[in-house]
Amino acid sequence: MMALSALIAAAFAATLTAQQAAPAYRPPRLPNGHPDLQGIWQVRNTANWNLQAHGGSYKTPAGLGVVVDPPEGLIPYRPEALAIKEKNWASRETADPLEKCYLAGVPRTMYLPYPLQILQTETEVAILSEYVHTWRWIPLTPLARYPGYESWMGDPRGRWDGDTLVIETVGHNDQTWFDHAGNFHSDALKVTERLRRTAADVITYEATMEDAKVFTRPWTIRMPLYLHRDMDRILENECYIYAEEAGKPIRGEHPK
Amino acid sequence: MIRTSLFAALTVAATAALVAQEPIPQPRTSGGCPVESRAFHDCATAKARTFKPTRTRDGHPDFQGYWRSRNNGIAYDVESGPGSFAVPPTLGEIIEPADKKIPYQPWALARRNELRTKGFEDPQGHCAPSGAPRKNNTLFGWRIIQPRGYVVFLYESMHDYRIIPTDGRQHLPKSIKMWHGDPVGRWEGDTLVVDYTNLNGKHWFDMSGNFQSENIHVVERYTMFTPDTIHFVATIEDATMYTRPWTLNFSLERNKEPGYYQLEYACHEGERDLQHFTDDTGRGESKTFREK
Repeated sequence: MMALSALIAAAFAATLTAQQAAPAYRPPRLPNGHPDLQGIWQVRNTANWNLQAHGGSYKTPAGLGVVVDPPEGLIPYRPEALAIKEKNWASRETADPLEKCYLAGVPRTMYLPYPLQILQTETEVAILSEYVHTWRWIPLTPLARYPGYESWMGDPRGRWDGDTLVIETVGHNDQTWFDHAGNFHSDALKVTERLRRTAADVITYEATMEDAKVFTRPWTIRMPLYLHRDMDRILENECYIYAEEAGKPIRGEHPK
Repeated sequence: MIRTSLFAALTVAATAALVAQEPIPQPRTSGGCPVESRAFHDCATAKARTFKPTRTRDGHPDFQGYWRSRNNGIAYDVESGPGSFAVPPTLGEIIEPADKKIPYQPWALARRNELRTKGFEDPQGHCAPSGAPRKNNTLFGWRIIQPRGYVVFLYESMHDYRIIPTDGRQHLPKSIKMWHGDPVGRWEGDTLVVDYTNLNGKHWFDMSGNFQSENIHVVERYTMFTPDTIHFVATIEDATMYTRPWTLNFSLERNKEPGYYQLEYACHEGERDLQHFTDDTGRGESKTFREK
């Protein structure tokens, strides 16, 4: 028994040593010394369907979940908000904003099953998604917030924390969901994203959500974005026009 | 007596209609050049010959910042014309041919004249992306950024973008047709040249039914001729529709409005009016997308 514990301890120590010994990845850099995150990236997970761990179901692939904090992997809803989430879940086949081809918002745009292209200058980062051909423009220089800004894609500000790009986004509306499972937020949402190139083909992507109207505490998701080596440009997905072309136009509710 | 009154009333009505169709007031110059399309082209071309732009780190003209087009309002009609219902008279944007008319083949002219009466079929009114060159023919502005090897336009209108690689790469296979097309750029001296293929042919050039086919080839040229103005020229070729290539041009001006903040224009989201002019109400019909 003692021998077994010792063996496990030794193996554990060896693993730690191996991790410490591995040389840290050195990302390519822009002329001003900050990491170069440019390329065409995409997740390889099921976060778009459900951020929490879930089994497979009709049109939904199974997934291990991407919520890393709280450690149990569950989004910390207030009780009254959890009831809304359950209602969203029940009506997700029609109520998910993506079923209407709406802008996916932040952070969902980052883990859609569509590629996105990151382009940079020394003073800004652009994230351009193939889904509904939308963009995020992230200034790295001081820019005052516009009072009362409310939008589908939020109002982001970026900065470098060492080799990590940190993006803080407020100014969200309350219309977007985090996933197809009905996980939602209010217009008080603040999202803090952290992007760090941890290997030539990997950006480790993290997003922390704060919204005191809906959640009891901040919570965080984490996942890798993978570099596409087989694409030199992103294409387009004009979802709402495709619906019209298919004879199934998406119409808003008109006030009676 | 009655007839006189009626005549007078009609005259008043006609005068009112004429007043209503006065051209939108236009600035007479842009970048020190007259805005009439031919005179503008000659003037901007001459100025660009001696103008020295500031440059990005990789040596190309620095287009970065906010821009907007100084065209005829919001491009009701790229041709010059007297105006019609909901279309004010315009000076037009065309410089070739000299008559400022699109050189349509007869069948295409007939089709255009039919579409001209069906403004509700304008794809842009359905929140469809505007393609090339119409995307620049907008009331709303855009930001240009220049990451190394690219020029990127981030448009306010529809919240969409153009990513223009400037490495002169090959176009996509013909089988891919897109609303935004496949822009491939290159620098010719200080002019950014953008070659567009793979457009899906569903666009209009304006609100007046001037239309395209999927065989369209567009070449756009961007040349700065003052620190705050770009000469924008687009040449359109399509042997299946036009009898010869044709060219339009207008000015792009730097948006220097103090405190300007680019907001989000999400077109399709929250849309409430399209049902009033498409066939799910029975009060109109819109077949443009489905016919093709």
